[in-house]
Amino acid sequence: MCMIYLDNAATSFPKPEDTYVFMDQFYRTHGVNPGRSGYDLCMETGQLVDDTRKLLTRFFNGTDPDRLIFAYNSTDALNLALFGMLSAGDHAITTTVEHNAVLRPLYHLATHQGVEVDHVPFDAQGFVDPDAVAARFRPTTRVVAINHASNVIGTVQPIEEIGRRCHDRGIRLVVDASQTAGKIPIDVQAMNVDVLAFTGHKSLMGPTGIGGLYVQEGVDIRHTRAGGTGVRSAQKSHLDEYPWRLEYGTPNIMGIAGVNAGLQWIEKTGLAAIEAHEMRLLRQLVEGLREISGVSLYCQDDLSNHIGVMIFNIDGFEAGNTGTMLDVDHNIACRTGLHCAPRVHEQLGLDKLHGAVRFGIGPFNTDEHITTAIDAVREIAAAHAKRTR
Amino acid sequence: MPTIELNGRTYAVDENGFLEEPLIWNDDVAADLATTEGITAMTDEHWILVRYLRDYYLKFGIAPMVRKLCKETGFKLARVYDLFPSGPANGACKVAGLPKPTGCV
Repeated sequence: MCMIYLDNAATSFPKPEDTYVFMDQFYRTHGVNPGRSGYDLCMETGQLVDDTRKLLTRFFNGTDPDRLIFAYNSTDALNLALFGMLSAGDHAITTTVEHNAVLRPLYHLATHQGVEVDHVPFDAQGFVDPDAVAARFRPTTRVVAINHASNVIGTVQPIEEIGRRCHDRGIRLVVDASQTAGKIPIDVQAMNVDVLAFTGHKSLMGPTGIGGLYVQEGVDIRHTRAGGTGVRSAQKSHLDEYPWRLEYGTPNIMGIAGVNAGLQWIEKTGLAAIEAHEMRLLRQLVEGLREISGVSLYCQDDLSNHIGVMIFNIDGFEAGNTGTMLDVDHNIACRTGLHCAPRVHEQLGLDKLHGAVRFGIGPFNTDEHITTAIDAVREIAAAHAKRTR
Repeated sequence: MPTIELNGRTYAVDENGFLEEPLIWNDDVAADLATTEGITAMTDEHWILVRYLRDYYLKFGIAPMVRKLCKETGFKLARVYDLFPSGPANGACKVAGLPKPTGCV
């Protein structure tokens, strides 16, 4: 029996064949250090890096490819942004729907560097009210940091409205698009996003170890690291120009090649088609699970403004046990626990139950996968009910 | 160190009720520990799982992964929960006299 992979919110798997083939081919033929020398191969490798900056900039409707920064992943990118934008005495606003990629850098800044942080709760359906964010604005507020979509409950936040309120007050909006880049459209201009953080290994269909930022023109982030850039080596301090301002050392060209191939696969497949496929499967999944006695779903009443990520629990049965049973008895891969987003579970009252079971749908999931998953949960719930009767 | 008394015998256990001295284990101890899991009579199925866990622990010093336990004993995990309602780690390993597993099972 082949494994059914429903852990795409952690990372997409498998990748498109195009990604595997291009990465292998590119690294075999162009595995040199880009931007460091003038020989042809080095220039060609550098060209791939620049082309990928352009592809991503266009994908997010940015305006300047030099402001597309490569980092290791979203966490790394968000660290670059938050540590480079906030200083002692500043106030930042975030929400309870965040991943630790936002929560922990802000916690560190609050406990060690004198930044004040407020957390806005989400509503009963999992959405953050833009007015609730605006109600926390202070004269010292510099940054609002929020995810585009939750990695736990899959709700897509009203970024454009939050951004409008931020810009009315000269506050910068940092958006964590880890779950949405490659899943639903992102337009940094229309959505009033100042800094967008993305990762390559989820819906952008690249490998792990690559991510980045898009930094809008007029927004500046201090460099909080320093090192090699390949240009102006005699300069003692780190460069202020983008992209070098926020890039340090040899880039992950294998990762960049993978993202390049992944992006081209997305464009060939069509973002709208991917979204429609995943949302159709999500509806099928949620409807199927809703009908099972003894199964609780969270923030899934209305699937408008959602992505294909959802959580559930079998009442009275620890999430980890359900996950292990899905794995061992049904060969279904999912993630259980707190999903690196403890405040979401805390607000939903799930922290005392050791979290929930998460299914994350990807473009290669099928109707049959969903039907099998629903049947598996039904069987586990029925067995648990029988056991506790 | 906490102790529990079962069928007139006293055992040193950790805060989760796992034996502090796994080497004092024998079938009588297993039967005593099973009562703490609500198991009044150990069946052949209970013993298959317990003996597998015991043998694996004595050989490797750790509990096996759940997938391995099921694959090698032929039990579905759901059946393991039927037999040991606390599950393979908190139930079966406890009865088999293993220390509380930190991951794996």
